[in-house]
Amino acid sequence: MNNYFKEIFKGVWEKNPTFVLGIGMCATLAVSVSISNALWMGVATTFVLIGSNILVSAIRNITPSHIRIPIFIIIIAAFTTIVDLALKAYQPSVYKSLGIFIPLIVVNCIILGRAEEFAAKNTIFNSILDGLGMGLGFTLNLSVLSIIREITGANKLLGYQLIPGMKPALLMILAPGAFFTLGLLLWGMNVIKARTARFKQTE
Amino acid sequence: MNTFQMIKAILVLTIIGFIAAFSLSFMNKLTTEPIAKQNQEKKLLSLSLVLPSYTIQKENTVTIDGQPFTYWEASKEENKVVKKAWAFIAEEKGYGGPVQSIVGIDDTGKILGFTILSQSETPGLGARCTEIASNKTFFDHLFKNNGSDTEQIPWFQVQFIGLDINKPINILKKGDWNSTIQNILLQQNAVTAITGATITTKAVTLSIEKGAQKLKKALTLHEVKQ
Amino acid sequence: MDIKILFTILISTIFINNYVFSRILGLCPYLGVSKKLDSAIGMGLAVIFVMTMASFFTFIMYKYVLVPYHIEYLSIIAFIIVIAALVQFVEMVIEKVSTPLYQALGIFLPLITTNCAVLGVAVLNIDSGFASQDFGLLYSVVQGFGGGAGFTIALILMAGIRERLEIAMIPENLKGLPITFITAGLMAISFLGFSGMKIF
Repeated sequence: MNNYFKEIFKGVWEKNPTFVLGIGMCATLAVSVSISNALWMGVATTFVLIGSNILVSAIRNITPSHIRIPIFIIIIAAFTTIVDLALKAYQPSVYKSLGIFIPLIVVNCIILGRAEEFAAKNTIFNSILDGLGMGLGFTLNLSVLSIIREITGANKLLGYQLIPGMKPALLMILAPGAFFTLGLLLWGMNVIKARTARFKQTE
Repeated sequence: MNTFQMIKAILVLTIIGFIAAFSLSFMNKLTTEPIAKQNQEKKLLSLSLVLPSYTIQKENTVTIDGQPFTYWEASKEENKVVKKAWAFIAEEKGYGGPVQSIVGIDDTGKILGFTILSQSETPGLGARCTEIASNKTFFDHLFKNNGSDTEQIPWFQVQFIGLDINKPINILKKGDWNSTIQNILLQQNAVTAITGATITTKAVTLSIEKGAQKLKKALTLHEVKQ
Repeated sequence: MDIKILFTILISTIFINNYVFSRILGLCPYLGVSKKLDSAIGMGLAVIFVMTMASFFTFIMYKYVLVPYHIEYLSIIAFIIVIAALVQFVEMVIEKVSTPLYQALGIFLPLITTNCAVLGVAVLNIDSGFASQDFGLLYSVVQGFGGGAGFTIALILMAGIRERLEIAMIPENLKGLPITFITAGLMAISFLGFSGMKIF
């Protein structure tokens, strides 16, 4: 049981895609304008991640190794198309506000990276856990960024106004705000890491 | 790589491609109907928004200046007199891409309703053309307090109601729309621009003016045919 | 056709809707390759080339294969395969034709397949409605070239700044990615100055 938790939890902290591995930046920055966008993007990416992990893991013993990358890409593209069609049919407003970033799930390095690094070498069950964990980590990062940006940049939370009459700092919801927020968060992470390292040393 | 390996690789990739395409075509079949239904529902809803109390008679698509132009004919009976109205799709390039809207006008050329169908403008700037002005805050929502939330149509779109399409539509910079400046705007046949997104506002007024001209052409074309 | 439409597309993709600073696309190679100026120039040229070619081929693929057979839903798979094959093909041709060019661009080419700016421009060409226009192919190629050029400008500017940052006094914890992101934010603000610019 403990092992399973570890498998899921590593995507959230130890191997956090955005803050530790530094991958999947485009989607993280571009989509984090509102919490609802962030959560939907997280769900969509997690679905593709788990789906492709299952399939890649299932065929890992019969995949010729020299053409594995094209095979992975086709699998990921197929799952992305499924998400694209499903959102278009059942959540048209979400589909519209995420726009071009749904097809771009294909080139999210997290998914190909996990297929290559984990799913191609592990059992189906572990791959599901890995996909779930990475997806959770990705969603969490998106949510943190989007909460900061939605509050400061739009004076809103979950689409509702926060403080009436207060003008928001528009910059934060535009592209520069995305870069600043992530830069400052990474700085904060580094500070925490340095502190804990020093603390451990003195012990 | 020898020939055998190459043939094997080609075979494997072809099989995977086939399986992917096949399962996607199945998915496509599943979603075609809901997507079509969504679009149809959205069209009917926006038509009822821009032509309130009118009944749609028919939909026409004609070619004007080499481009397809869609408009609807509607009518209602008022004091035993049949009043006609039209709705048309207006489109113009905005800041981030095309801004598409649907406009309803009555027989005197007054705009009855206006709603934006699709846009890809900058969030926080041009995208505010679909923003609903609401006084309801997050905390009201949290504590189930209904606040003073009455507006349902975005403020940017409300201000077009009552404008005359036979005259040019002016753009004033008066900040966000509110009911106190409504009369001033109507007198000058003007709308107030979204702060920081004059290009979006211009695209919308231009698309309405162009669309109205196209509608006139389409209607004369129609009369000649009859 | 108006020549000015081409100029509008070009200027707006390079400056107003810059792929890195405004649309936030292609960040992985942008952060990875912007450490040194000469590798930034190499990567930039490779991206311009691939984005222009990808716009051309994906547009043809969409308009003359996917649309006539009503299989637009396969466009994501089709585009990514076209791009991957194109990158592979370009790599092989450059290797055979010119060794110095291959040495300059070679290592960047495989990275480009997963550059989301390339797939991004292919999808944007379709979203812009070019497929139904008379000169759509030309428009998409120009948009692809402009996107690549905008990416290159952003990359070269950033590489120049980062080379200086290497020798600058920065707080220990800000070094590396954090300061790069904050710099990118400042540059994005300056690119915001192009917004609202009216062309013609």
